[in-house]
Amino acid sequence: MKKLLTTAKTLLLNREGTLTRELLREPGGFGLGQVPSRLKPDATTTAVCGFCSTGCGLDVHLKNGQAINLSPSKDYSVNLGMACPKGWEALTPLAAPDRATHPLLRNSAGQLERVSWSAALEAFVRGMRAVQAKHGPEACAFISTGQIPTEEMFLLGTLAKFGLGMVHGDGNTRQCMATAVTAYKQSFGFDAPPYTYADFEESDVLFFVGSNLCIAHPIMWERVCQNPNKPEIVVIDPRRTETAVAATRHLALAPKSDLWLFYGLAHILLREGWIDREFVAAHVSGLEELEAAMQAYTPERVAKETGLSVTVLEETAALIHRGKRVSFWWTMGVNQSHEGVRVAQALINLALLTGNIGRPGTGANSITGQCNAMGSRLFSNTTNLLGGHAFESPKDRAKIAGILGVDERRIPREPSLAYDQILAGIRTGEIRALWVIATNTSHSWIHQSEARELLSQLDFLVVQDMYHSTETAAQAHLVLPAAGWGEKEGTFINSERRIGLLKKVSRAPGEALADFYIFKLVAEAWGGLDFLRRFDTPEDAFHAMAACSRGQPCDISGIKGYDMLESGRGIQWPLPEGAEVPRRSERRLFEDGAFFTPDRKARLIFEEPRPMPEPTDAEYPLMLLTGRGTSAQWHTQTRTAKSDVLRKLYSEEPYVEINPEDAARLGIASDDWVTIESRRGTMRARAFITRIVAKGQLFVPMHYATTNQLTYPAVDPYSRQPSYKASAVRLRAERRTERPPA
Amino acid sequence: MGIKLPLIQEYLQKQQDLRAVTRFAALHDEGSVCAPNGVYEAQIPLSAPGPGQQYAFRVDLDACTGCKACVVGCNRLNGLDGDEAWRAVGTLHGGGGRANRGMQQTITTACHHCLDPGCMKGCPVGAYEKDPKTGIVRHLDDQCIGCQYCTLTCPYEVPQYNERLGIVRKCDMCTDRLGAGEAPACVQSCPNGAIAITLVDVPDVRAKAETGALVPGAPESRLTAPTTIYHTKREGEAATLPADYYAYTPADPHLPLVVLLVLSQLSVGVFVLETLLGLLLGGATLPGAPIALLVGALSGMLGLMAAPLHLGRPLYAFRAFIGFRTSWMSREAVFLGLYGGLALAAAGLPLALDVPLAVELAGKVGLDRPGLDQLARDLEGIGRMLVPASALLGTVAVVCSAMLYVVTGRRFWGGWTTHSRFFGTALLLGSAVLACAAIFAAPKGLEAGSAKLAFGLLIGATLFKLGAESTIIQHQDDTERGELWRSAELITGPLFNMSTVRTTAGVLGGIALPGLLLVSGDSAGPTALRGLAVASLGLCLVGEFLERVLFFMAVAPLRMPGGFGKVSRA
Repeated sequence: MKKLLTTAKTLLLNREGTLTRELLREPGGFGLGQVPSRLKPDATTTAVCGFCSTGCGLDVHLKNGQAINLSPSKDYSVNLGMACPKGWEALTPLAAPDRATHPLLRNSAGQLERVSWSAALEAFVRGMRAVQAKHGPEACAFISTGQIPTEEMFLLGTLAKFGLGMVHGDGNTRQCMATAVTAYKQSFGFDAPPYTYADFEESDVLFFVGSNLCIAHPIMWERVCQNPNKPEIVVIDPRRTETAVAATRHLALAPKSDLWLFYGLAHILLREGWIDREFVAAHVSGLEELEAAMQAYTPERVAKETGLSVTVLEETAALIHRGKRVSFWWTMGVNQSHEGVRVAQALINLALLTGNIGRPGTGANSITGQCNAMGSRLFSNTTNLLGGHAFESPKDRAKIAGILGVDERRIPREPSLAYDQILAGIRTGEIRALWVIATNTSHSWIHQSEARELLSQLDFLVVQDMYHSTETAAQAHLVLPAAGWGEKEGTFINSERRIGLLKKVSRAPGEALADFYIFKLVAEAWGGLDFLRRFDTPEDAFHAMAACSRGQPCDISGIKGYDMLESGRGIQWPLPEGAEVPRRSERRLFEDGAFFTPDRKARLIFEEPRPMPEPTDAEYPLMLLTGRGTSAQWHTQTRTAKSDVLRKLYSEEPYVEINPEDAARLGIASDDWVTIESRRGTMRARAFITRIVAKGQLFVPMHYATTNQLTYPAVDPYSRQPSYKASAVRLRAERRTERPPA
Repeated sequence: MGIKLPLIQEYLQKQQDLRAVTRFAALHDEGSVCAPNGVYEAQIPLSAPGPGQQYAFRVDLDACTGCKACVVGCNRLNGLDGDEAWRAVGTLHGGGGRANRGMQQTITTACHHCLDPGCMKGCPVGAYEKDPKTGIVRHLDDQCIGCQYCTLTCPYEVPQYNERLGIVRKCDMCTDRLGAGEAPACVQSCPNGAIAITLVDVPDVRAKAETGALVPGAPESRLTAPTTIYHTKREGEAATLPADYYAYTPADPHLPLVVLLVLSQLSVGVFVLETLLGLLLGGATLPGAPIALLVGALSGMLGLMAAPLHLGRPLYAFRAFIGFRTSWMSREAVFLGLYGGLALAAAGLPLALDVPLAVELAGKVGLDRPGLDQLARDLEGIGRMLVPASALLGTVAVVCSAMLYVVTGRRFWGGWTTHSRFFGTALLLGSAVLACAAIFAAPKGLEAGSAKLAFGLLIGATLFKLGAESTIIQHQDDTERGELWRSAELITGPLFNMSTVRTTAGVLGGIALPGLLLVSGDSAGPTALRGLAVASLGLCLVGEFLERVLFFMAVAPLRMPGGFGKVSRA
């Protein structure tokens, strides 16, 4: 009877049952705080995030060795317990239904058809060898990525160039970092971002140039927020971005007028004598030439070019002068530019002139894009020979050959063509086969329709990716299914040169394999490449990389292995053998003022600004800017679009920001559909009428598949990085589509 | 074919082997990697709320830069489903002014743990409680029946319906984390420390809620007295326009509710009109009245049966009376339920002896012919007495139905609009059913006069209703792009075809056909008359169903400022 009553009562009023238990939380242990009871781990391990270059530590929650959840590591010096939405959702894209689970080969009917790994390997070898037999080994090339572990890049570069006889290979890092690389190499003598994230906290004046840090690198912005000095934060960006709003000053300059601005600031600093003469004399070369050249950049002239007032220019220069610790940070707004190398160097010049380098809170600091762009820069064996060496140098070739036990004659004597040149090579017939790894050329390359057309002309296109659904995979002859982040081991190198471990915490679907294994299988299938057999595990490759780096600025020969990286919570380069393991976990370069040039002095480099390659005109009167949409989106969205919760955080439909004055002139109302047209293509987008974007300019997030239909394929002549953020376009209004025709 | 390598199998096996990670997991386990406290412990109050106080979110807008980590951090740390989000981040933009430059402000928002929670008031089953000590508004997941009414009564789109479980769920301010001195998930996951928990004084919240809104573009605070504090030190530049200000999408049609409302109102309409006409005609019964009442009572039952289909957990529908004290939905359920039973009795009793089984049973208990006749007269008498009672109870039920929507504060569902629509439907369909029944019952139905009256009423009701519904269109020209503008844009935009069919069906069924009937009179012959009457009723039903679908789909929900563009609902 009592039981019956209880049941009746529960039927009527039920406070705790199965549904309530769904959300129960309990202490998770391992320093995690409360976790969902359903997802209580029996162990945890820290892995470096696989999206952007911040390189956050993520505590992966494990149950029976499998990842069940994750949370940002509280004790990782990079992110201090925080992550952006992508990091929090890092595990979700692994379970997407469109994962590539088996090799796919295009059959005689033109369809991609599931095949075995042996058939796929045979197709690979046959396809590449056929092209090489007919057109020479140089006709096969590869496009690598900043998204795979350094060990895999290393193995790929070694296999492709020393094994398969390829000469040309580049990475998608060309799209994000090439400008910074070239700028640093020329100015510092090595590709060496000098800073550590602690510098965000130690500055009293911070410049952010072409960097929407709050959205693109939210965890770096976290570090800015931790700055106790009430710093002046100057954002230089044509758009009123989230970061511009959060800054103390926003210089909304005309697009691509930044070289003028920084030369103008240098002019004022020189004019006022606001120069650290002592530092410059000791550690910098080229002052006289620079002084002479900067004469021409008077505030009046610069004001005209940039659209900023003379007062603002003078105030900004004074701010640099007054600052005790001034740091200059830049991202894609600088790197993706027709003269990006010189703009980056103009910032380096400002830092050098004022002695703002090598001290806490200073530096001319490039914030990298991808999780392993830095790994690619040092060890991908594309532009540089492994470890920042030169293909042209017989000494370097001999050193690498000796370390790897490879016949020196297998090492090419010239650096690779750049990404854009490889694609151009398809047009001229020099490149006939391409192996694309973990990147999505058909979406992300500038002037997309041309890129797709060129890929379709290849005799043999191999795409190796986590997903069979990417725009590039759809064009492939052969698709090789790859394991992703979380399904394999290796290391990434982040923006502050920190080498961190990633972990294998999830099973790859079907027959997908780690890129490392795929490269090994290709080597075996190719035959005769015994020198690669010594790399059984990624850690073997790591030891070889460390050996290659010996004596270089990026020397990591002091890192004994993964255990040391794990217990050090990531270790920054350099760490030469014999060096004391640093007590301080956040180190910066050039504290001794010695640079990597032959004379140990940094160089002041400058060049007359050049006009934009495609200025606006009467026919195409609007300047199209592109960039990151939200922190929930990553590049071509092959991963981030697979998370339901991330998809809630941005517009599925493409949209374009239009200034109200332009909208009024064109008769466009908010939320209308509009067509954006450039000389190369069109895209449809919803009109977001807002003053976030200035008059005469439009902004479209880069993540939409149609955005790069519009972009103009200009590249920086030194870095060959594409300039995504300046294309002349026009707008055509459409009627609001929900409303049927009258 | 292919290149056979033993390595392939070896690597495929190695790829599936996860043992390697234990090498590092062990390190963590032994505590050789220490985990000091995060940066957010300072973001929660040191003491529990005192008397007259409660917990509240405090958002530093100057620090909220739109990274949206809070949304996903909450999702992961609380083990929510993949598509579930208890937080959202919207954008306000604007600018101009003296500096003539743009401005934007991102706004993180979750449950505001209101003083007068709309969700709690609306809940028909008592599945919400406001903790008397902390002020946290909690949802009792096992008590929920999945009616989703709280998603209408909350002005901030807080309760989220979970299809997998058939219930709504919402933010509980991580009650047990707070209890353990730990920061809630969103507080923990904000890289900039923009979200904090603070103590607020209830009278202060109450006073502030009298006027204004939490942020520009948010619903008026007077509706529920939300406790969240949005704080900014920025001056001069204003961002006041929600990025989704001009956005509108059709809302859920709630089809089971459409069926419930239209059929129950038809039913009540028949009983009310029968009662009124009875009074008007001095107690004389209309021809066909018994059939009309039966049709009315049965549609009422059909409507009531459709209602539970709207629930995520229909088996627990019986709980619906629990919230009677505060919830109009409970009241609707109770009054409609009582009405349904009474109406069935009123319509059914006079016809009881038409059922052969009833007569057989009566015979078995020994009733003879005169006894049966007497019983029939008694039953008819009781039935007739129950009609006005049903009409009264039904009227109350329709008021409850209407109030259910009126109290949501949505302007498209204002008091006049909703009541006029609901009672309009009752009048319109009630008269259509009565007219139809009259035509069927009397060979020369129209001559009876009262059928004419019913058709006249139908035309009148239709004119009134179509006229009242069309007033929304004028809001297309509103200079303020408010809720009613959105509804007008929806009606003339994405819902244009539906509203055209609705109007056509209404005009044909409620005006043209009845008009034709009245003009042609009995000269048309009984078959034609019956055909026309049925067609008229059918078209009216189609029209009213579509009207109610539009009522749900064209409403503009109250909401916090959102982001620009079409955001995934999946």
